[in-house]
Amino acid sequence: MTGPSARSPIPDAVRERAAAWCVRLGSDEADDADWLAFETWLAENPVHLQAYEAVEHLWSALDALKPVAAAPQAAPQAAGELAATVIPLTPRPRPTRRPPAWMGAVAASLLAIIVIGGTFGGVSYWAGRPKTEAFDTAMGQRRVVTLADGTHITLNGDSHLTATLGRHERRVVMASAEAVFDVAKDPDRPFFIEAGDREIRVVGTEFNVLHQGGEVKVTVRRGVVEVRPKGAPGAQPLARLTKGQALSHRVGAGADAVAAADPDVAMAWTTGRLVFQGERLSDVAATLARYGRRPIVVTPEARDMRVTASLNIGPEDEMLRALTAFLPVQIDRRTDSVRLSLRR
Amino acid sequence: MADPPPLIAAYMRKRADLVRFFTLRTGSAATAEDLVQDLYVKISEMTPPPDMRSAEAFLYRVGSNLMLDRSKAQRRQAARDHAWSQAAGGGGPEPVAQEAPADEAVAARQRLERLVAGLERLPPQVAAAFRLHKFDGLSHSEVAARLGVSRSSVEKYIMSALRALIAEYEP
Repeated sequence: MTGPSARSPIPDAVRERAAAWCVRLGSDEADDADWLAFETWLAENPVHLQAYEAVEHLWSALDALKPVAAAPQAAPQAAGELAATVIPLTPRPRPTRRPPAWMGAVAASLLAIIVIGGTFGGVSYWAGRPKTEAFDTAMGQRRVVTLADGTHITLNGDSHLTATLGRHERRVVMASAEAVFDVAKDPDRPFFIEAGDREIRVVGTEFNVLHQGGEVKVTVRRGVVEVRPKGAPGAQPLARLTKGQALSHRVGAGADAVAAADPDVAMAWTTGRLVFQGERLSDVAATLARYGRRPIVVTPEARDMRVTASLNIGPEDEMLRALTAFLPVQIDRRTDSVRLSLRR
Repeated sequence: MADPPPLIAAYMRKRADLVRFFTLRTGSAATAEDLVQDLYVKISEMTPPPDMRSAEAFLYRVGSNLMLDRSKAQRRQAARDHAWSQAAGGGGPEPVAQEAPADEAVAARQRLERLVAGLERLPPQVAAAFRLHKFDGLSHSEVAARLGVSRSSVEKYIMSALRALIAEYEP
């Protein structure tokens, strides 16, 4: 940061422009486009950055005057009222829990599902027996496949599944996989996904299914899905999931837990990121272990540590290092496993 | 896990843009990555203000504040290190100063005094608008409502105050 002591000639016009940016960006009307335009201006000439830093330095220095210079007019105003109108740039406690506003936007996008089913696959498969296709990804690989009915499946690394498009139903079997499904609507051909001992029934929707290491997790972004025990088509669904809900299940166990979940977080891997919001370190380790060959063992005293982070998906090693950069844990790499323990 | 706020969604969309912006601001891609990671932690535990108009602009602002906080902390650290090495060089068990070296502290105080004087010379409306915004934290719209003028007038007042203060600060 350039202080006022490091002085070099800044043209008055540039200084003026820098001040105007400071005022504009400090306005409650400033939007994304303003910041992008500001970035463009900054990048044009190093003097622009220097001029802006000088204004910013002044702006920060003025904070020191706050106790003596606060507007006298503000005094009669009740402190509580004032606090409610200020745009806080520091966290403040959440007073009440409101239904998330983003859900409306997500619901609105439901109509955007494109129905291409039946016209796309060509005559060949209608004529003969349904063909089963296998899709596989290597560790660290991501792949988007489009089925003949227009359904998009985004596969995470180390995933193995098969898809069969039949005349009366569409069926995916997930051997061990994580995938996001954007299922083309086709009321005449329900879409089924087998994951361990669970079967997921879909009409047209977008959701994430994880089936790895005996864990089944379904997170819905759009539409409705039903989950049943596998091989019991007539059974009552165990759960009907709608947007913003997730079902967690361990293969072989009786129970299925349904909870609110952020589909953006569950699907962050499709954009190359892993997002954790206050999850236990042991759960985080289980997720990271899916990106490496060695199991990650967390020592008991570190298991319940809460992790909030957004990591770039990369080699397991790099992600662990990123994690230890802001968590008080240390990594011990052994030949057959990786150990995470509290840093001493 | 519940309540996925629009801020997180905006962060996901804007992340690459933010890293690029703060790389430009800080001159270091690694610093920018760290900063944008900190930004995530910060917004994940905060409630967006009810009157937030643009989640993206809010992310840039919170990120900019984080950047300034960091550089302030670094300057303090540098000042302490400097003071420590001075004290260590002196050889005696003198207390370590928490402030910048004395001559710089004097210069900084003189600059602040000029700013105070500059504020006092501002026309009343200009001074009122500037103080409400800068020191009481009111948004431009709120200042406009309080003073009964248009928002663009508020921007003009704040701009003219800033211009006058820059002249005091960097003669």
